[in-house]
Amino acid sequence: MTTQNETLPYEVGRLTRGWIAMVAVLLILMGVGGYAYYLQFTQGEIVTGLRNLGTMGGATWGLYIVFLVYFIGLSFTGISIAAMIRLLGLEKIKPIARMAETMTVIALILGAMTIMVDVGQPLRAMVNLFRYARPGSPFFGTFTLVIAGYLFASQIYLYLDGRRDAAILAKKPGRFQRFFRLWAAGYKGTPAEKKRHNQASFWMAIAIVPLLITAHSTLGFVFGLQAGRPGWFSALQAPEFVALAGVSGFGLLICIAAIIRKVLNAEEKLNQDVFEWLGNFLMFLIVAYLYFMVVEWLTATYSSGGAEASVSNALFTGEYAWMYWLTVATLLIPFGLLVYQFIFKRYRLAWIVASGFMVNIAAVVKRYLIVVPSQTHGTLLPYGIGSYSPTWVEYAVVLGIFAFGTLMFVLFIKIFPIMNIPENSEGGE
Amino acid sequence: MTRYGMVIDLNRCTGCRACMTACKVENNTPQANFWMNVFRFEENEYPNTRVWFMPRPCMHCNNAACVKVCPTGARFKREDGLTLTDWERCIGCRYCEVACPYGVNYFNWKAPEENQYLDWDDAELVTELGNDGLPYANPDLELSYGPEDRFTAGGGHYKGVVEKCTFCVHRLENDLIPACADNCPTDVINFGDLDDPSSKVSMLLGEKPSYRLLEDVGTDPNVYYIGGTPPNSETRQIEEIKVRV
Repeated sequence: MTTQNETLPYEVGRLTRGWIAMVAVLLILMGVGGYAYYLQFTQGEIVTGLRNLGTMGGATWGLYIVFLVYFIGLSFTGISIAAMIRLLGLEKIKPIARMAETMTVIALILGAMTIMVDVGQPLRAMVNLFRYARPGSPFFGTFTLVIAGYLFASQIYLYLDGRRDAAILAKKPGRFQRFFRLWAAGYKGTPAEKKRHNQASFWMAIAIVPLLITAHSTLGFVFGLQAGRPGWFSALQAPEFVALAGVSGFGLLICIAAIIRKVLNAEEKLNQDVFEWLGNFLMFLIVAYLYFMVVEWLTATYSSGGAEASVSNALFTGEYAWMYWLTVATLLIPFGLLVYQFIFKRYRLAWIVASGFMVNIAAVVKRYLIVVPSQTHGTLLPYGIGSYSPTWVEYAVVLGIFAFGTLMFVLFIKIFPIMNIPENSEGGE
Repeated sequence: MTRYGMVIDLNRCTGCRACMTACKVENNTPQANFWMNVFRFEENEYPNTRVWFMPRPCMHCNNAACVKVCPTGARFKREDGLTLTDWERCIGCRYCEVACPYGVNYFNWKAPEENQYLDWDDAELVTELGNDGLPYANPDLELSYGPEDRFTAGGGHYKGVVEKCTFCVHRLENDLIPACADNCPTDVINFGDLDDPSSKVSMLLGEKPSYRLLEDVGTDPNVYYIGGTPPNSETRQIEEIKVRV
């Protein structure tokens, strides 16, 4: 490490021993995931726990689709935080804006990867999904609106938001100077430029809020429009997906912010205020989701019969009950913690972080409960009960994708400041 | 317009499953895939028990859920009412499978040579076969059919694509009826043009009350059942077909 780079903020370009160890672990995990996927690619999806519905008594969508929904759900935060800063002028959450946007971009890339590992003919899919795209399929929205549109918009945001900092850093000599100069693209920080910048991001924020709702609803429609699957066919599916996306996204953002605060010793920048705001916002999202869950529960149990009852019995008292009640617990406990803090104004960082972690468990398990039981217990013809348990290949592939996402994040931290550089910093405005 | 459909007479069905065998032989379907499946049902308790059988091909719905959700148009409706899969275009996302309320779609989890009813570990047998592949392979399945000229018959059951009952499109093109209908010993499965008032299927529907499976889902199937009632919540499956590969 050179003396020049030490002047870069937030440990950009500084490789510590812990960081290298972490990257090594991530690479190992990616290797295991890559090997598992190699097995799946060469031998076919027989190596997964997935099987056909009906006479084969399995679930044909499993862990991959669960994590597709989870990853895309995480992307909720980047755009919503960026929009809130621009539209509501929430200046105090500015330090988390860039990490939220980075998380969004990475989560969307992971979502796209999860689709590719799920399909049986990935190479063909890369061509045919564009060549023969059918807007009538609910999947169409997942590729266009969510992955393409959303990813594009988040990248633009990340880029625009970083231009000022890149311009500041480009003035310092060092290894990354060319890169910062490229990013800044001639930005100097003149008042006229600032005004144009602000205007551009303001109008983009306005345009992007409808996209936020539509994109997450689209993913809900993948399930909610299927009349032939009890448990999926529901008008609530789309708004529920939006709410749960927010819950998991903000939960994970809290965890990431806490880790960065610890690692970069950024207690001052990522102060209690930021976490209080995040915690309170998470609380409102949890309330919205719990409300949907109660409505869903009443509708499913009050009068239904047939396959609908078979799915809800499996959920509430049967095979999946432990998972269902785990979800309820991991939503109610954070909710209790956050409400207590909100009412008595006694905030504790550890509680907020624990809440963020717990709601992510809830989010993964709940997605599993959305995807799987309707396939194993929800056949309308009397096929009997099916079963699904993921194999090590599926776990390894998902873990590998997770590791890849984390690797992208930690690499980004080392080439670009993960938080905005303070106004009065040297070389600044 | 031609609209192919089936009228299945449950009164005649003895549950012999000859149609399932015919389908397997004709279409070389992989292990544990049953494009035609015969349910064996029982209802009520002794002394009122009733046992009955219900063949379940693909319903070739007019408003097919699988066609609507397919992201690439690999699953499509043909002019003559067939709902077919283009195995050259399918990407294997299995959305059709979760959308279909009847559970008729089968994904190929393995490579075709590992998925067939043949002991490929038996070296002697494999040498004997030489390069000819399966001794019972039907060459018609690999051809393209119809005005669209698409690969819609069974194909080679390639890894990573979804397949299902084709109403034996390769036989229809040669003026034959589907293998299951042809092979039924008791004339349960009637196949023909539902839009032609003088066809046997139209006559049967005119004579007898009929139902279609899960009509309330709105799929508008082209397979009709006569001489029975639909399965209900009291219907239990006996000698259930549940095979995992």
